[in-house]
Amino acid sequence: MSSETATVQKTSANPKPSLMAEGLDKAFMSGKIRVQVLQSLGISIYPGELTLVAGPSGCGKSTLMSLLSGLQRPDAGHVYALGQDISHLDRRELERFRLLNTGFVFQGFNLFPALTATEQVQLPLGYMGVDDKRSADRAMRALEEVGMVHRANMRPAELSGGERQRVAIARAIVKEPPLLFADEPTSALDAENGQRVIDILHRIAGTHGATVLCVSHDPRLIRHADRVLEMEDGAIRSDRRSGTHDSQGVCA
Amino acid sequence: MIALARKTLVYEWRRFVPAVLAVGFSGLLLAVQAALVLGIFGSAALYVTASSADLWAGYPGTQSVNFGRAIDPGVEMRLRLDPEIAAVEPYLWVDGEWSAGSVSSGSVSIYLSGISTRPDALMFAQVLPTALRDRLREPGAVIVDPVDLDTLSVEVGGRAWINSHAVHVVAVVPGLRGLGGVNVLASLDTARQIGGADAAAGSTYYVARTVGTGRAEAVRARLMAGRGSMGPVEFWTAPEFAQRSQWYWLLDTGAGVAVLFMALIVCLVGAVITSQSLASVVANSAREYAMLNALGASRWALARVVVEQSFWIGGLGLLLALLASSGLLLIAAAYHVPVAMTLLVALGCVLLVACLVLCSGLVAVRGLMRADPTLLLR
Ligand SMILES: Nc1ncnc2c1ncn2[C@@H]1O[C@H](COP(=O)(O)OP(=O)(O)O)[C@@H](O)[C@H]1O
Ligand SMILES: [Mg+2]
Repeated sequence: MSSETATVQKTSANPKPSLMAEGLDKAFMSGKIRVQVLQSLGISIYPGELTLVAGPSGCGKSTLMSLLSGLQRPDAGHVYALGQDISHLDRRELERFRLLNTGFVFQGFNLFPALTATEQVQLPLGYMGVDDKRSADRAMRALEEVGMVHRANMRPAELSGGERQRVAIARAIVKEPPLLFADEPTSALDAENGQRVIDILHRIAGTHGATVLCVSHDPRLIRHADRVLEMEDGAIRSDRRSGTHDSQGVCA
Repeated sequence: MIALARKTLVYEWRRFVPAVLAVGFSGLLLAVQAALVLGIFGSAALYVTASSADLWAGYPGTQSVNFGRAIDPGVEMRLRLDPEIAAVEPYLWVDGEWSAGSVSSGSVSIYLSGISTRPDALMFAQVLPTALRDRLREPGAVIVDPVDLDTLSVEVGGRAWINSHAVHVVAVVPGLRGLGGVNVLASLDTARQIGGADAAAGSTYYVARTVGTGRAEAVRARLMAGRGSMGPVEFWTAPEFAQRSQWYWLLDTGAGVAVLFMALIVCLVGAVITSQSLASVVANSAREYAMLNALGASRWALARVVVEQSFWIGGLGLLLALLASSGLLLIAAAYHVPVAMTLLVALGCVLLVACLVLCSGLVAVRGLMRADPTLLLR
């Protein structure tokens, strides 16, 4: 598919960001020392494109992703996800928000050893109250999307790393979430499988109009992203769009 | 809903084996312990439970059958006069020393029971067939439990001495094993002769059977109220006196505390092993659970998976305990180890094990709180 034209069209058709952060602060206690990871960071992420947050290890990429996705709460500032301020929701409300709106892909595949690929993908739907028959259908479609139908009845032990990550992606997209987050999704994979995974993520942004935020230190991914945010020491240094559609940095 | 708990249990069954074994073993130990307690301490009341009397008259405050003291012979008359009492007989208790072979050789302490030899006698009616009871009429004739023959160094037909009075074993009857001493049955006359001056005066107990069923309590109350004219005496219903004897042995001897202590240890060790192995299963899946939590499954929903797993473990463990303890108790009974089990006590053991499993499950659920999705960030 011609991702570049598609991106330009989608971005111009959707000027409203689906994820927006203002004045984000996040610090961690490392022993007795307080480590400020993010300081008054602002950012806007748009639907229909694959946004990559790149930067060296430890610069705060994963922390930023966890705040934008409602895995953690910021110390200060606001996160608006799909128009809702999620920065001050309590744990249960965040779980509910994530259940309805977000998918995740992590470096580790985190598949249950006992379940077949189909069952892995069905599992999150069960928590949304989807019955087994319908969830099985939807799981099949998700597996189809990642090209794993032929492995539908296999358990993780019988799958390669790349195949496991594709099952994990199917699990993340089966509920068709408007927001899809990936943290170092290719780091545990070889070049070919990494390529495949990023292609799938890219395609999902295009076909489902989802907001795909990928966080990685892997420079190979940069050329597959519609938009690349370079991060350094907890701040965004540059903001580039592939093709012609460049914009200014949104640094803090 | 995908049956995550069950599928994991089946697929990774090896991980769950220690927990199932821990539960099974706890159940087995509890059941065997309870069976021994019931068997051993139950025999403290053998005299009551093996007899068909439903009222007992004895010395006031007697804590256990073996502590009986002589009571006023007038009590027998008083019992016979009660319109609701159908039968009365004396029961003579003599603490004795048994020696076999010769008077001077080593001795064994025994409980000699002097009982009525009438065919419709009440004492030991549940274990002693009429034909054998009849043989006690012979002076010096005694009956013992076959298992006790070794202890008494005697054989059926053999001679021995009790308190230097010659006796001979005319027969053996199973079901006489007691607590604290070997039970020896003799006729009232034989027992009086052996008991000497103490025993000659009256009887240690008078036992009675009431006319209707379920009247024992009322008759007892009436007898207690009309005690004034008699010498020191107290009346008990059979179940009351049986329980009194058992509680005495269980509580006043410290055995009960020891048993409770053991049960506590068993439960504690079982709970520790079960919770540890469950917790390790949870810890092993922490990342997968964290993943589900990231995708929006609530901690409560995840806790349900762990609790369901502990239910399965509890069920399987209890099944194991049931099979193992029935087998073991049957073997024990076959080898004359005093064991007994009642439905209520068995249910008590099951309940205790269920509590143990539930607590272990809850401890393991705490491990879920560490399954935070930020764990997955790189
Ligand atoms: N839970 C935490 N506790 C303490 N320090 C943390 C925690 N999470 C992240 N950090 C620290 O914050 C910094 C940024 O981490 P992270 O966002 O994971 O970086 P990146 O994903 O860019 O490699 C690192 O120095 C890391 O040690
Ligand atoms: Mg990271």
